[in-house]
Amino acid sequence: MLFDWLAKKLGPPPDHPKFWSQYLSGFDGTLGKRTPIEEVCFVVFDTETTGLDPRKDRILSIGAVKVLNWQIDVSQRLDCYVQQSYKPIGETIAVHGILPGVNLNREMDEVEAVQHFVAYCHNSILVGHHVAFDIAMINQALKSMIGQKLVNKRLDTAALASRVLEKKDYEQPGTYGLDTLCKIYDIPMSDRHTAAGDAFITAVLLLKLLARLKKRGVTTLGGLLRGPGI
Amino acid sequence: MENTIPRRIYDFLKEFPPFNLLDPSLLLRVSERILVQYRQPDEVIFNQGDAPGAHIYIVREGAVHLLREVDGETILVEQCDEGDVFGIRPLLASEHYALTAKVVEESLIYAINIEGFREILENNPKVAFYLASTFAAGIGEKYRREGKPSLFLDQDKMVDANFPLVEIQSLEKSKDPVTCLPDTLIREAAIIMSNREVGSIIVVNEAGQPEGIVTDKDLRSKVATGVVGLGRPVTDIMSSPVITVGPNITVADVQIEMVKNRINHLCITEDGTLDSPVIGVLSEHDLMVVQGNNPALLIREIRRCRNGKELRNIRERAEELLKKYIYQEVAIAFIATVMSEVNDELITQAIRLCQAELDAEGQKRPQAEFCWLALGSEGRQEQLLRTDQDNALIFENVPEEAYQSTKAYFLELAGRVTRLLNEVGYDYCPGDMMASNPSWCLSLDEWKAQFSKWIFEPSPKAVMYCTIFFDYRPIYGPKELSAQLTEHIFKIIEGQAIFLGFLAKDALQNPPPLTFFRNFVVESSGEHKDEFDIKARAMMPLADAARVLILDAKVGKINNTFRRFEKLSELEPLNKELYQQAADAYEILMRYRALQGLKNKNSGRYFNPSELSKMERVNLRNCFQPIKELQTLLSLRYQLAYLR
Repeated sequence: MLFDWLAKKLGPPPDHPKFWSQYLSGFDGTLGKRTPIEEVCFVVFDTETTGLDPRKDRILSIGAVKVLNWQIDVSQRLDCYVQQSYKPIGETIAVHGILPGVNLNREMDEVEAVQHFVAYCHNSILVGHHVAFDIAMINQALKSMIGQKLVNKRLDTAALASRVLEKKDYEQPGTYGLDTLCKIYDIPMSDRHTAAGDAFITAVLLLKLLARLKKRGVTTLGGLLRGPGI
Repeated sequence: MENTIPRRIYDFLKEFPPFNLLDPSLLLRVSERILVQYRQPDEVIFNQGDAPGAHIYIVREGAVHLLREVDGETILVEQCDEGDVFGIRPLLASEHYALTAKVVEESLIYAINIEGFREILENNPKVAFYLASTFAAGIGEKYRREGKPSLFLDQDKMVDANFPLVEIQSLEKSKDPVTCLPDTLIREAAIIMSNREVGSIIVVNEAGQPEGIVTDKDLRSKVATGVVGLGRPVTDIMSSPVITVGPNITVADVQIEMVKNRINHLCITEDGTLDSPVIGVLSEHDLMVVQGNNPALLIREIRRCRNGKELRNIRERAEELLKKYIYQEVAIAFIATVMSEVNDELITQAIRLCQAELDAEGQKRPQAEFCWLALGSEGRQEQLLRTDQDNALIFENVPEEAYQSTKAYFLELAGRVTRLLNEVGYDYCPGDMMASNPSWCLSLDEWKAQFSKWIFEPSPKAVMYCTIFFDYRPIYGPKELSAQLTEHIFKIIEGQAIFLGFLAKDALQNPPPLTFFRNFVVESSGEHKDEFDIKARAMMPLADAARVLILDAKVGKINNTFRRFEKLSELEPLNKELYQQAADAYEILMRYRALQGLKNKNSGRYFNPSELSKMERVNLRNCFQPIKELQTLLSLRYQLAYLR
C-alpha cells in the first residue's frame, strides 16, 4: 500500500508528537482494494470556517460521524467547537451563525480540536461534500502545528453523486450542491450550516449513494475509489 | 448548537408515540444513543422465530412489512411507515420474534438499544401502556393474557407496584385472616369477630379450605332477629360457597368480582380456588381505602335514589369514574362491565320508582310479568357515555280479554320510565325505539310474530330493526321471557340463509373510514361537516359483522361486540387472528369515543381528526384494518355478489 510505504519511507521521526505517531500506526494495511464496503469505516465530516481560503481562514467547528456497515452510531459522533482569536468577516458568520469567543466553556483550542479529529479519523476513509476544502483546512492547521498532513484516503460525495447520476461533468464536482442532492435523495435539510448537521446529512447521502453503486456492482473499497473524483 | 445530531433525531421522535410521551431530557438521552440504519428492499431485519434482538426499531423513512408465516403461507400483518415502531417484542417479553420484518422500500431505520430503554419503560407507565396496547392491537405482535381483563402486560415483569394506577395495583392482602371451624358456635364466632375488630369471619375446614363466610350482616339479619339461636353452629348462618380469588389479585379484578356477584367480601386462597387454604380476606372497605369513588358504592346508592335528579347525580359521578378509568387506561372490558352495571341499575331503579308511583296512584298491576329490554349499545353493554335510550318491553301472554288493560298499564309504565330516564340524561330515541312506543311494548307471542315477520320477509327496514333489536338484553324482570324469545329466533333463523345474507349485506353498507391516501373520511356536509363519525364509520361495521356472525353461530347471551368476537375466535380457529384483532380494535374505538366524548362533553360520536395527536391517528388507523378484512369475509361467506 502506498501509504504504508510512505509511512515507512518517512519513518516515525523522534520529534513526532504522540498523537501523530499513534495516528500513523493506524495505517496497518488492514484496508485494501478488496475490503468489502461493509467493513470500511467512513468518517463523514464537515468544518465551519471563518472563510473560504484555507491559507488565511480558520476552523470554527468540526462535526463528524462514522458510517460502518450501513449504519451510523449516533453515540460515536464528533461535535467540537474551536476557540479562535481571529476576527471574522461578517459574511461567513451570517451563514453558520457561530461567533468566535462565545460560549468559551464548551470550546477547545484549535490544537486540541484537530488532535481529537485526527484520533477520531484513525485510518478511515474521509468523506465530505467538497471534502478537499475541509481536508485543506485541517491540513493547514496540522501544518502550522507539526508540519504534517492527513494521509487518509478520501471520497467526495459531490463526485460520487455525479458518478451515480451518470453525468458527464463529474470532473467538476461543484455541479452538485448538497442542497440539490438532498432534494434529489429526499434528505431533510434541518441544521444546515452547522458542522455536525451537515456531516450527518452528508452521511445519509453517502449511504444512499453507496447503495446505488452497490447495485451496479461496486462492492469493494477498490471499486469505490477507482471512480473519478477522488 | 451543541448536540446537533441527537437534536435532529429528537425532533423527529418527539412527533411520534410513544416517544412523545417521554420527558424531553430523557428523549434526548435516547436520541444520543440511536443507531441510524440504512436498509435496502428485501432486506430482513429479523425473522419470525429469531431469538430476541438488542434493538427496537422506528421507521424514519421508507417502509417495512411485518409478515407472519402460517403453514408455509406468508401473511402481511402490518406495513410500518414513517414514525411506526416495530420489533418491540424483546422489550416486553423475552420471547422469540413472532413476525418477520422485511424492508420493502429503501429505508432509514432508527434502532434503539433495549438496554436502557427498558428502564425508561419502568419509570414511564404511559410509554409502557402505549407499547403494550399497540402490541395487543396487532401492530407488530399479538399478545394477550387469557382471561385477564385488565392488563396487557405481564405484571410480574413489567409493572409491579410502582404503577400509579390504583386499579391495577396488587392489593396488599389482609394478612392473618380471621377464621373458625365449622362447629364453632355463633356466640363464639361473634366474640372472635368483636375481639379482632373485623366484620367477617371465614369458616374453614381442618385443611384450612374455606367452607363459608359469616359477616356482620348475617349476625344482624339472622341472629339478632331471633331467627337462629346464638347457641347454633356458624354453619347455620354462613353464606356458602365463598367467592375466592388468587393472591395476585388487582383492584380491578376485585371490583369485577364484587360487582358481578353483588358481594362485599372476597376470600383469597393460595391458588384462587376453594380447594386451597385461606390466606386472606378482602372486604369492600379495603377497596374503598385505596379508592374513593367505587362502582359498588354507586350501585348501592342508586338503590336509595328517590327521583330523577338523584339518579342523574349518580350518573354524573359514574361519569367522573369513567373519566378516571379512561385517562388511566383501565381495560375497556372492565370499564364496560362497570358502566353497564351502573346503567342497568339506574334503569332498574327508574322502573321500581315508576311502578311504586303507579301503585301509589292506585293503578292495579296486571296479572302478567314483564321484562324490560335494553337495545342497541346498552343492550351490547357498550354504553360508556349517556347516549339515546333504546329499549323495549315484553310481557307475558295474557288472555284476550285482559290484553287491552295489560298493554295500557305497561305503556303507561314505560312512558314514565322513559321520561324519568330522559331526566337522568338519556335522550329520547329519535327513531322512537322505546318501550313507550306501542309497537315495541308487546306480549311474548307478539314479539315472536314480529321477529318471524322480519326474518321471513326481510326488507331494508326489517333489517334495520333487526340490527337494533337483536342486541336486546334483559335488564329487569324474569329473564325467561327474553330467553324464550331468543330461542324462538334461533329456531326460525335455521334455514333462513337469505335473512343472514340480508344482515350481512347491511353490515357492508357502512361508509369506509379512510380515503385511498389513508386520510380519515370526514362528513362532507351537515351539522358535523369536516368531522369524523367514529360510530358509523368504524364501530358499526364491527358491531354489525359481529352480530351476523354470532347469530349464524347461534350463540345467544353474548351481546358485547368484543366478547362476541372473542367467542367467534374460539368457534372459528381459522379466523382466530382476525376476530381477535377485531375485538381489540373495538375496545380501542370504544376508548376513543369515550375520550372524545369526555373531552367535548357529548356522546363522542363526531370529532375533528385534525385534533387528534399522531399517536391517536396511528392507533385509530390500525383499528380500521380488521374492518376491511371482516367485510371481505362476510362478502364471501354470504355470497353477497348475488344479492346486490
